[in-house]
Amino acid sequence: MPSRRRALLKVIILGDSGVGKTSLMNQYVNKKFSNQYKATIGADFLTKEVQFEDRLFTLQIWDTAGQERFQSLGVAFYRGADCCVLVYDVNSMKSFDHLNNWREEFLIQASPSDPENFPFVVLGNKVDVDGGNSRVVSEKKARAWCASKGNIPYFETSAKEGVNVEEAFQCIAKNALTSEEEEEIYLPDTIDVGSSSQHRSTGCEC
Amino acid sequence: MSSSDSNSSSVDDPNPNPKPLDNQLETLNLEQGSDSIIIQNEDDEEGRQQDQGSSLNGSLNVNSDNHEQDDRIGLVRNVVWRRTNSEMEVDVNGPSSPSSSGYAGERGSSGVSEDDEIQEVAKDSALHGGFDSQAAWLPGKRHVDEDDASISWRKRKKHFFILSHSGKPIYSRYGDEHKLAGFSATLQAIISFVENGGDRVKLVRAGKHQVVFLVKGPIYLVCISCTEEPYESLRGQLELIYGQMILILTKSVNRCFEKNPKFDMTPLLGGTDVVFSSLIHSFSWNPATFLHAYTCLPLAYGTRQAAGAILHDVADSGVLFAILMCKHKVVSLVGAQKASLHPDDMLLLSNFIMSSESFRTSESFSPICLPRYNPMAFLYAYVHYLDVDTYLMLLTTSSDAFYHLKDCRIRIEMVLLKSNVLSEVQRSMLDGEMHVEDLPGDPLSRFGSASHLGEHQEPTDSPGRFREPFAGIGGPAGLWHFIYRSIYLEQYVSSEFSAPINSPHQQKRLYRAYQKIYASMHDNGNGPHKTQFRRDENYVLLCWVTPDFELYAAFDPLADKGLAIKTCNRVCQWVKDVENEIFLLGASPFSW
Repeated sequence: MPSRRRALLKVIILGDSGVGKTSLMNQYVNKKFSNQYKATIGADFLTKEVQFEDRLFTLQIWDTAGQERFQSLGVAFYRGADCCVLVYDVNSMKSFDHLNNWREEFLIQASPSDPENFPFVVLGNKVDVDGGNSRVVSEKKARAWCASKGNIPYFETSAKEGVNVEEAFQCIAKNALTSEEEEEIYLPDTIDVGSSSQHRSTGCEC
Repeated sequence: MSSSDSNSSSVDDPNPNPKPLDNQLETLNLEQGSDSIIIQNEDDEEGRQQDQGSSLNGSLNVNSDNHEQDDRIGLVRNVVWRRTNSEMEVDVNGPSSPSSSGYAGERGSSGVSEDDEIQEVAKDSALHGGFDSQAAWLPGKRHVDEDDASISWRKRKKHFFILSHSGKPIYSRYGDEHKLAGFSATLQAIISFVENGGDRVKLVRAGKHQVVFLVKGPIYLVCISCTEEPYESLRGQLELIYGQMILILTKSVNRCFEKNPKFDMTPLLGGTDVVFSSLIHSFSWNPATFLHAYTCLPLAYGTRQAAGAILHDVADSGVLFAILMCKHKVVSLVGAQKASLHPDDMLLLSNFIMSSESFRTSESFSPICLPRYNPMAFLYAYVHYLDVDTYLMLLTTSSDAFYHLKDCRIRIEMVLLKSNVLSEVQRSMLDGEMHVEDLPGDPLSRFGSASHLGEHQEPTDSPGRFREPFAGIGGPAGLWHFIYRSIYLEQYVSSEFSAPINSPHQQKRLYRAYQKIYASMHDNGNGPHKTQFRRDENYVLLCWVTPDFELYAAFDPLADKGLAIKTCNRVCQWVKDVENEIFLLGASPFSW
């Protein structure tokens, strides 16, 4: 048995369709990239074991579908997330503009206990495309938005070339981990025979 | 349950004293032998691997390590969702489906898995125990190195999972929970997806597999099985697993999830793997898991009375329940005024204590919760083993009663020793339960009167289990085995296994057959039945349900129906004759 218990962190990846969520995850978990686009249906799940400082923990990564028709799955998927990763395509202004919607939608659906400090990470993906010539969202602009939302960590990544992917997920893991709340002592009640009548169900239900 | 030649006289019998079984069956036109049911061929150890072709693909696609992700969870192409108001069944095309996404493991079978399989079979056949030989079973979780990408994992016949409503794994029967995080997330997504539509998923059939879901607030339980057990049985097993979890933690865990949906329960359950795996193992040998009744160790009436008297004494001094058990059998049991113990709680409590090695080594004081008594709060259990199999449990509401209970235990132990209860208990363990060979004959054709259980101990002092006077034929009229459940007492008695039901494999198969017939007798859809006569290539099963008792009997498949019915009447008479010794009388809640 390890001296400290293993933690399991639920990480949700959100962003418009086609920004490279699945590719980022594949690059991170499998070190693979495919140019072929396949839309995610509903959600896809991967796990990765990560060593951080002296602790071993597991990332449970929820790669969601970007298409709007899957938005209804939100509550079910976002519940109990430890970290949320927002992804946009630096070559698409629309995907950047939508980050705000994704963030707000997440906070509404997941309703975390402390929304102000819920750990997000923003990734600007596809920095490799066309040598950066087709880029429309500047790093400065992206960083400004992140700063305005409570200093969200920001990374520029290329899922294709594996640029910054490892670093981004290290940060994701770290943030998810620090948000782990101090656990309270688990102390259920003890039966008070004096006041409580017996709770036995009447017979068995067979 | 395809076709059964069951008969129901649907109206409740107003007569409290049931007529002999043959009178009831006389009026029924039974077709014998014509519609035998198909019995599963692979009903041995679930851990044993099954055919490669029918693994779990098609329904639950978890892509944990592949790069050909076609079908994702939720909206798999080859799934047909059928909804009714409250029940949903999903039919998934068989494993041949071309679009099922690839696990690495699916693409080719390897020699490794074959080696695995041989090992498995050898190991499991050696390990598996019957109703009473569960001692051979190795406790603890097996195959922790597996995950959902392992071929061996996917071939396990019966999986159980506990997860949180955010998809975090809590328990898995096989494999490492953390490596199964993706699979766990898939299960949550399925459940939550259906819940979002204001519906509930109860059962998914995928080829030979059944996926059974049970939602208990923030706790989700799932069983994936290809054992052909009825849905009701599997669901009942999930209920017991949930009850076991409540016994360890109480239902207050729900509050933790309310405050914090990402709450991770696993640390609270640390070290209890063995409790769950032992409970799951008991699903294949302990009839209490589906009968909702407990069983007593056969003892002379006076002996049990002596044990009860001293337990009564301590119950008057602030002990809520005092229970003396030997393995899974009750020696005696006393509750404080108005307090009564549900058989399921007893099952879960004794499983918890027997599976946790530390209780054996010293006297213990542990918080436990009885889910049927009060699921919200803890009681405290003082536990002490009096000998290797016999243990005393004193339950109290006071967390500082350890020394008082220790004193009680010392008093009880002294009395039990003085009155020879403990040596009687050990002797009864050796003698075993009722033996079908000892079934008293027709009063006319046999000289002796009905022999009583306590009297048949031959001087040969051979353990009952091993005597096979008429090898291969069992009791009279081809009677092989029976279970008698007293409804009023919430207790059952099960005959000792004898030839030809010798091997653990055969015992488990018979047990499953009982389980199936029990489910069909209690099926609300076309029941309740009163009698059922079922013949197939393995057995004749005869089942008889009255307001007072239920009898399940297994006969030679060639047994004569008329004789079998007569024999069942004799079994019932026999049970009545010895009820003082096989049952704990006066323990019913109504008598306090």
